[in-house]
Amino acid sequence: MQQELDRSVETLSGQPTPLYFLSYEITEERTSYARASFGALAGRSDSERRLLDIDLRVGSHSLDNTRPIRGRGGGGRLRLSRVEAPVADIDALRSTLWFQTDRKYREATEQLTKVKTNVQVTVHDEELLADFSAEDEQRSIEDLRSFDLDLAAWEDRLKRYSAPFAQAPHVYSADAVISGSVVTRWYVNSEGSKIRTAEPRVRLVISALTKAEDGMELPRYESFFAFDPSGLPDDATVLDAVERMIRDLAGLRNAPLAEPYTGPAILSGRASGVFFHEILGHRVEGHRQKRDQDAQTFGRMLGETVLPEAFSVIFDPTVTRLGSTDLAGAYRYDNQGVKAQRVPVIQSGVLEQFLMSRTPIKGFGRSNGHGRKQAGFAPVSRQSNLFVEVSELRSEEELKQELIALLEEQGKDYGLYFEDVQGGFTFTGRTVPNAFNVTPVVVYRIYADGRQELVRGVDLIGTPLTTFSKVISAGGEVGVFNGTCGAESGGVPVSAASPAILVSQIEVQKKAKSQVPLPLLPPPDDSRPAPQSLERGGVR
Amino acid sequence: MTPQARLILPLLALLATAPALAQESVLMRAMRDELQRTMSELQLRDMSKPYFVSYQVHETTSARATASLGAPVGRSEGASRLLSVEVRVGEASFDNTNLFTRPEFGSALSRAGFPTTLPLEDDYSELRRKIWLATDSAYKQALDHLSKKRAVLQNATQVEQVPDFSVQEPHRHDDARPLAEISVSALEALALEVSAGFRGLPHVSVSEVEVEAASRRVSYVNSEGTSFTRLDPSASVRISAGTQGDDGTTFEDSASVHARVWERLPDRAELLALAADLAERLQQLRAAPVLDRYTGPVLFEGQAAAEVVRQVLVPRLLAVRVPMADDSRLARAMERAGNPFVDKLGSRVLPRFLDVMDDPAREEHEQVALLGGYAIDDEGVAAQQTALIQRGILKTLLSTRNPVQGVPDSNGHRRGGGPAPSNLFVVPRQGLAPDELRSELLSLVEERELEFGIIVRRVGNAAGRISRERGPGSATRSGERSEIAGAVAYKLFADGREEMVGKVVLAGMQESDFRDIVAASEASAVHTARFLAGSGSALGFAAVRRPVVVSLVVPSLLFEDVTVRRPSGNIPRPPLLPHPLAGG
Repeated sequence: MQQELDRSVETLSGQPTPLYFLSYEITEERTSYARASFGALAGRSDSERRLLDIDLRVGSHSLDNTRPIRGRGGGGRLRLSRVEAPVADIDALRSTLWFQTDRKYREATEQLTKVKTNVQVTVHDEELLADFSAEDEQRSIEDLRSFDLDLAAWEDRLKRYSAPFAQAPHVYSADAVISGSVVTRWYVNSEGSKIRTAEPRVRLVISALTKAEDGMELPRYESFFAFDPSGLPDDATVLDAVERMIRDLAGLRNAPLAEPYTGPAILSGRASGVFFHEILGHRVEGHRQKRDQDAQTFGRMLGETVLPEAFSVIFDPTVTRLGSTDLAGAYRYDNQGVKAQRVPVIQSGVLEQFLMSRTPIKGFGRSNGHGRKQAGFAPVSRQSNLFVEVSELRSEEELKQELIALLEEQGKDYGLYFEDVQGGFTFTGRTVPNAFNVTPVVVYRIYADGRQELVRGVDLIGTPLTTFSKVISAGGEVGVFNGTCGAESGGVPVSAASPAILVSQIEVQKKAKSQVPLPLLPPPDDSRPAPQSLERGGVR
Repeated sequence: MTPQARLILPLLALLATAPALAQESVLMRAMRDELQRTMSELQLRDMSKPYFVSYQVHETTSARATASLGAPVGRSEGASRLLSVEVRVGEASFDNTNLFTRPEFGSALSRAGFPTTLPLEDDYSELRRKIWLATDSAYKQALDHLSKKRAVLQNATQVEQVPDFSVQEPHRHDDARPLAEISVSALEALALEVSAGFRGLPHVSVSEVEVEAASRRVSYVNSEGTSFTRLDPSASVRISAGTQGDDGTTFEDSASVHARVWERLPDRAELLALAADLAERLQQLRAAPVLDRYTGPVLFEGQAAAEVVRQVLVPRLLAVRVPMADDSRLARAMERAGNPFVDKLGSRVLPRFLDVMDDPAREEHEQVALLGGYAIDDEGVAAQQTALIQRGILKTLLSTRNPVQGVPDSNGHRRGGGPAPSNLFVVPRQGLAPDELRSELLSLVEERELEFGIIVRRVGNAAGRISRERGPGSATRSGERSEIAGAVAYKLFADGREEMVGKVVLAGMQESDFRDIVAASEASAVHTARFLAGSGSALGFAAVRRPVVVSLVVPSLLFEDVTVRRPSGNIPRPPLLPHPLAGG
């Protein structure tokens, strides 16, 4: 890689349209996967692939080929490329790099001409902003890693984890999935950085789904993440979770349908983590403060108080573990050769920083190590591990009492408790309502007398600034949500950790529901088939 | 008319023809048991019960490895068992099928029309559960589609009264052989070795070798008493390479070989020779002078003749039904996608000296294996030899149980998502020797007062493009009708001299050109390639479009009038840096 990089840089810098930055990143993913459904093995696969990403820039830091063409949606280089690279052989690799670099250079010079024209014919409110930041050279070569995910043993475990659902009535799908991968990245750039990282990760997901009598699909998920198979929970823990899921599903099936509601609510730690990821996280991604099609919610709020003083929100990819849970959003170097850094975005309620890739924005000229992507995509600023830190923590019981007090104040019969969520999504564009949606799977009503009642069929919705201003206090245990966040630079692993929070006013809407009624026939007769099943009908 | 009355017949047929099979697989038993329950009990309120149900399960173990210049690029292996359920409500003359409607999403459970994952193991109760739920979704969707079709007809009169489903006698077929094991390491070793053949050839700027193998068993049962199991193993090696000429023109080509099983693939030496040929051809192409444009007689030899037959003629030989659409714009698009040959039955589509037939039973042609054959098709219809064109007259089309005007019955050609050929033969009633064919070309050239004639010896296959390179020059431009890229052509001069020409495409070739074929050779060459069933048609979307392997046996064909020209569009500039292995 280095040889070809040097050779390209040397020649292409001397061209009429000189190259000023070049990086090669190769991502090798070795993945094993198995799935069981209701106690039977349903799929397995094993794969290896190596993808090459080239960031080649012509022009200068202040204006280069990657500047989005204004008046045209999408942005210039957010384009998926799938270039596979042979890694094991230097000659083979050099050939591929050479061929692809030439193509990239050709595209880049063409694009730069378009960019320069576009710059002259359109208006600029951000004209002084550069396209790319200069960063320090990084050198770090990690040992190669591997782990043996004993698929045969795991297949057996997955069968045992998914089997109990077969005995539960009305559970229509139940899967246990194990997926382990080792991602090795090689990165070199023309600034002298040379980085190799090796990241094993493994995830166990158990999902099941029931349907209520009215046809509403009710899912329940449990997911366990670790950097090594040994970090996953033992059988007893998983089977306990399975039992809890079965109980929840039975409860959900019979739970009353929630009504659209506005009022106070408590979000569990995990729910709050996702809530912050959606309403805050996506809006402090630096590049969104720059692009003309983004709403730039927080763009002008630097230095302003956006949360209660007790609240701080920190993104920190350098933390790998919280309590006994590995954090999926951890990494040592981002996808632009920048060292991972802790970024306190909100301190004591005041918005102080954004998550930065190497795309500078007003007031922030350099990256803070959050330029991330999935292999094959172009990096943008993305989240890592989100931590909601609160200086005055209540106990769980105190939070509940505060909620009950709010009920009286607002004249409500009940508040809501979001115990678990499956994920969420948000829109940050200008052309769509700037809303978020968090998808809860287990929600309770909390009545003034402290009674709890499970309900089904709600989505937590709202607009970010309004909702933020309603956050009051936090307490109880810190919950961690490990997930994959999808955005323009692909899916990247992230986590969100938070204590439970109390919000004085949230809004829920009815969940979009499947119109398909329950299966017409009862489940097939149990395990044993009639030996002469065709004669059972008695027609012969 | 009561729905019950219609039902009795197929149900009785099932019960009468199904003997108690002691050796039957757990999967088959689960399919049969759930099928029986479905036929006797499945009904939503007072709506129609299903009149036909079929289950088809594909059990696949597959592996794939790719390599470049002797280094691994990627590999994957996996196993799956996928169930497709077909439920028909209404009656054969008018049922829920042949409707094109927006696919419905939004439900995690019921994705009718998409295959359902079954357990890999023979777990009877779990198999039943999955089949039960998939049947339930398919039945509900069938009812929904039937009512949508009726709604469309309230506002329009159906011009053609073609039934939706053809009648078929029950049929049984069993292949009890076990599925073969596949070793991804062996595949990778082969890919590495063959790809290393391009080392030391710096004029080849990209190259890749992909080796794939799959063992597959298809198990099928329907409510008419038909059932079968069939093994569909496959193995292939694809060698692709590309280069760029001194002026920047990009050249790509590939060579593919197929076999039923991994063990029957050509040996390493033969594959390396193929790679060497490919590299040599690219080298020659780079050096060959450019041909601007030529319109006149063209002789297609060997692979080139078979490939134009596959790309241009074969899609017209398929009985592809144009579905009804519940949206007028879609309906017009569907009509445009229809097969014009449906209206040409009984008309002349080839010269009188050519016949075309399809024969799934033939296993070889002059000691070359034919790989498109099978004993029973995907709808449980026995494979049969089908005479498609006789003395140039179109007699019938390759058909499934989905009838089209003029082709009411299946001739056993349902493969993957729709009708497809198996082993397709273009048979000359009178053929010429190679010399005679060249003379014939030259006499046409003289008649047209042309300086030279053109012989095409290879035609690219879009499926053979290099996955790592989708640069300019490789893609046919949309909007331009049927441009066939990747032709390797030679000028033939009156004195018999040949001269290779640079990169050319065949512009605007279409099925009507085949009527003006002037002559064919006596001898035919075998060409085996993948074919996407239903391609060039309105099929697809909900159906599973799985490529199938077809073999074509085609003589060299002399066309009266074909346009051969250099590709349009800009030529990229040549690389600024020399190839890293070229001593630069």
